[in-house]
Amino acid sequence: MAKIIVVTSGKGGVGKTTSAAAISTGLALRGKKTVVIDFDVGLRNLDLIMGCERRVVYDLVNVIQGEAGLNQALIRDKRVENLFILPASQTRDKDALTKEGVEQILEQLKEDFDFILCDSPAGIERGAQLAMYFADEAIVVTNPEVSSVRDSDRILGLLGSKTRRAEQSLEPVKEHLLITRYNPFRVTSGDMLTLDDIREILAIDLLGLIPESEAVLRASNQGVPVTHDASSDAGQAYTDTVSRLLGEEMPLRFHEVQRKGLLSRMFGGSRR
Amino acid sequence: MSLNADSADMAFTFKGGMLPMTVMELSSADPELIRRQLAGKLSQSPAFFQHTPVVLSVEKLDEPHLALERICAVCRDHKLLPVAVRGGAEPVRQSAWALGLGWFAPVEEGRARILESVSRMIEPEVVADEPEAQEGASVTTRLFRGTVRSGQQVNAAEGDLVVIGAVNAGAEVLAAGSIHVYGALRGRALAGIHGNTHAGIYCRELEAELLSVAGNYKRLEDIDSQLLGRAVEIHFIKEQLEIKPLT
Repeated sequence: MAKIIVVTSGKGGVGKTTSAAAISTGLALRGKKTVVIDFDVGLRNLDLIMGCERRVVYDLVNVIQGEAGLNQALIRDKRVENLFILPASQTRDKDALTKEGVEQILEQLKEDFDFILCDSPAGIERGAQLAMYFADEAIVVTNPEVSSVRDSDRILGLLGSKTRRAEQSLEPVKEHLLITRYNPFRVTSGDMLTLDDIREILAIDLLGLIPESEAVLRASNQGVPVTHDASSDAGQAYTDTVSRLLGEEMPLRFHEVQRKGLLSRMFGGSRR
Repeated sequence: MSLNADSADMAFTFKGGMLPMTVMELSSADPELIRRQLAGKLSQSPAFFQHTPVVLSVEKLDEPHLALERICAVCRDHKLLPVAVRGGAEPVRQSAWALGLGWFAPVEEGRARILESVSRMIEPEVVADEPEAQEGASVTTRLFRGTVRSGQQVNAAEGDLVVIGAVNAGAEVLAAGSIHVYGALRGRALAGIHGNTHAGIYCRELEAELLSVAGNYKRLEDIDSQLLGRAVEIHFIKEQLEIKPLT
């Protein structure tokens, strides 16, 4: 039976889609049959980050409205086996999503997959609420910045009240904190909130910490999820995150300022 | 039943409010003496005496019986409108009610007495120092375990509110009585929402956006920065919010 995981944040631009792409890729690389669904109807991005934008024929809304079958709309990833993408519609808006339609699609996907990742749109409106409604677990993406932390806090409140698990008094949605764009230098200089500040305010378990990295921007522009860039700090951090999601203990990395070695100081080695 | 229930079809809603109110603190119960002095004041500042509502405070008078009716008549003659009486013994309270006036409990000094009066107002049959009676008090106390998150509102419409956890920025906690937060208070806390000025707010770490007791509020900006991050108690004392570190 598949696990439904929503990737959400409240605030926009914190790295939800990047994280959904990277984590679903990581899960597939570990042999888990994974599908990632773009719920951002009208502002479709996931297909670009996953590098499959030229292969989109049908989308989530088409399936909900019965214009296409689920298998017609699912796009198989070219780089990893076991990974599928269900893109959003760019020409519709979020009112085209219905709770019943989403439920039907998820029930169908549950038969075949190990993991279903729902990439939530920003905000707390219909699209975001539908993305989280059926979730078993939630990855709350947060930047080390006060407005992002406050919006994540708001989302955590909604996860505890506006989901099927909450409404039916089932076991609550399991909440994970994923901190992205973390820059230890700027944390030390006081420009950014510290890891401990964020954990104290949000009071949920830390799933992962992704350092601010040039590799992330490069990956999204190339349409290759950063998990594939195994030599980059962000790629490794996402791989660690996936391991923790699968229940493995991994030490935290990239949260402290690294002393530069002599060679990199001499040659000005930049962080990749 | 929440007092803040959907009010679409309701003829009225109850709202806690703090209105500017003149308190007439009596140091004599002699109606004639009051009449003479009021006449003097009236000539000095006639603008003030425009059917101004006043609360007669008799706390400083040590007399069990007062000529309340005559004192009220004197006030009305001078265009003051007594609306309530504050303080006094049981006979004073009874005659205030008989005259159609409200009655307020006296404003007491010192913490022990304040707490006593709070418990009297919430649960009249509570006897202090008796564990069983304190169990009874929890009937109106609302307990919330966990973090009150941004956008959430937790309301104890009848009694005290106890939060075992933090109240985050953008969250709001309200109580008819006092509010206790065993964690950081970063959001808004409004105690005594129905006007109980004896309600207090207690927290382990003060970072609150807004503190209010019976409608008297302080914003984060108004709070002495030395008190931020500390464990504090907040009370309405001498007409203002007082924030004291808990030691």
